[in-house]
Amino acid sequence: MAQNTRRPSILESLGQEIIGIVVPVSMCMLMVVILVTVLTSNSSSSSSVLTIANIIESSSDSSWDKFVGALLYSLAFVAFTTVITFVLVLLFYLRYTKFLKIYMGFSAFLVLGFMGGEIALFLIKDFSIPIDCITFLVLLFNFAVVGVLAVFMPKMAILVTQGYLIIIGMLAAYWFTLLPQWTTWVLLVAMSLYDLAAVLLPVGPLRLLVELAISRDEDIPALVYEARPVNHHDSGARGGVVRRRVWRERRNDNSNVGADSNSTANSGSDESGDSRSNSNLNSNEIGDSNPDGCTADNGHNDARLVRAEEGQNSERNEELSSPLLKQVQCPGQEDGVSSDSMVLEGIGLGSSGAIKLGLGDFIFYSVLVGRAAMYDYMTVYACYLAIIAGLGITLMLLSLYQKALPALPVSILLGVIFYFLTRFLLEVFVVQCSLNLVMF
Amino acid sequence: MEASHTDAEIPNPGPNPSPRRNPNSISLSSAVWPTIDGPLGLSEEESLSYASRFYKFGFALLPWLWAVNCFYFWPVLCHRRSFPRIHYYVVRSAIGFTVFTALLSSWALTFAIGGEHLLGPVWDQLVMYNLADRLGLTSWS
Repeated sequence: MAQNTRRPSILESLGQEIIGIVVPVSMCMLMVVILVTVLTSNSSSSSSVLTIANIIESSSDSSWDKFVGALLYSLAFVAFTTVITFVLVLLFYLRYTKFLKIYMGFSAFLVLGFMGGEIALFLIKDFSIPIDCITFLVLLFNFAVVGVLAVFMPKMAILVTQGYLIIIGMLAAYWFTLLPQWTTWVLLVAMSLYDLAAVLLPVGPLRLLVELAISRDEDIPALVYEARPVNHHDSGARGGVVRRRVWRERRNDNSNVGADSNSTANSGSDESGDSRSNSNLNSNEIGDSNPDGCTADNGHNDARLVRAEEGQNSERNEELSSPLLKQVQCPGQEDGVSSDSMVLEGIGLGSSGAIKLGLGDFIFYSVLVGRAAMYDYMTVYACYLAIIAGLGITLMLLSLYQKALPALPVSILLGVIFYFLTRFLLEVFVVQCSLNLVMF
Repeated sequence: MEASHTDAEIPNPGPNPSPRRNPNSISLSSAVWPTIDGPLGLSEEESLSYASRFYKFGFALLPWLWAVNCFYFWPVLCHRRSFPRIHYYVVRSAIGFTVFTALLSSWALTFAIGGEHLLGPVWDQLVMYNLADRLGLTSWS
């Protein structure tokens, strides 16, 4: 038989896998940026934005007041997320997997149907698209139901599932960008710190979830993006080793409380309602020996709480996010690759050995970039590069530590730093250079 | 030290025990999987149940589900002789999707292009942005 003497280098396979996760993240961010620019330029300060904003902070407040308001909101949100995550851990521990799956499907339906519908209505109004309600309802219904099936059913076309997960991330992220400015930034920082704590502390909910999943060798039902597995033909005898990686990413799905009412006075009680809970999901994957099985796919379901208010529904999403865990196991590989690189390396491993990334990470990255887009495109580029760099760093850390790691902190903190640096330092520099015709 | 394998021969212990061998193929190792994902997709028995379920659910005003069905089982449309039973459902899904899309798009285009002078005052009542305004769907207030 012909000998396969040329081994694909680690860079090829690793690069392919990284691309498999960077491309969907980038697409999600791009779509959120497009939505933000299209919808905010057309309807400047829509009433809905002011409504939410006025509950938490109004533009007439002083900086300190705004900061305090934002801090309170973020703390309430993080607290809510923690509670919901613990509830999810409890449910998973008590083996209510069916319930979790149904909940996940239900929340996906709400996101796709209601949030997607609202955004579609915004677009229809802005562009005056002459679509009638029957067609619109049929299309929306189709879109939402097939999305739920894609998320819910274990085996569906990979492209369809991936596309729908990206769309869900995009829709949820757009709604988060409607929060007022200070709140968004403080919330992002708070969520990344929470992610760090929940994944790394021994008492953290996500860590508990991962350990539960590992000990039971089960998958956590959750909204987790899974990249297509890359086949590494490095071990010929096996006919292509499938590297299994485990990546648990945190998925934070924050649903904005859209409908919150302007009317109500009790903003305090609303705060908890508004916040979404993020749950971190840790999944550890093991073993190739059971490829079907248990790839550590722990994901929390996306919990969405619906609150009816004045006939409108405000939705809260909870997503379980799993920390980044990298594990790669190649059964019996004997090729030249060093054993330690094969042992446990990988981020998030799906049952078929693909990289997994939780949807909450998609959402928060897109929220950061969307908020940067509301200022200027320069900040968008800077934040995008910062986030991708953070993602790469997190992957490297994963291969270094080989245990569950949170994916949010590095990227979000880098992104926030770069946003403020760009906005306050770089922009002034570039504008002055352009005005003086030194550099365009 | 290593023999090279074709993709189809990967002994993936996953959900696909074995592909269907293409009886008309000359090469020994060409195998056809029923789904577009190939070895990552479904086995033939599961494919049959999935295809039939998608076909039946599509009757609940879900042409997009029929389209996804056709997309997912695209190899079945290409190699119809290998998968006769799945092909039955996939072809009917394709026909259903085409018919439904033709009907829906003809109605939507009539509505959009005809506009008021064709439909009269009903147009204003049916068009989505007016309806959204009337029901207050986009104002959140």
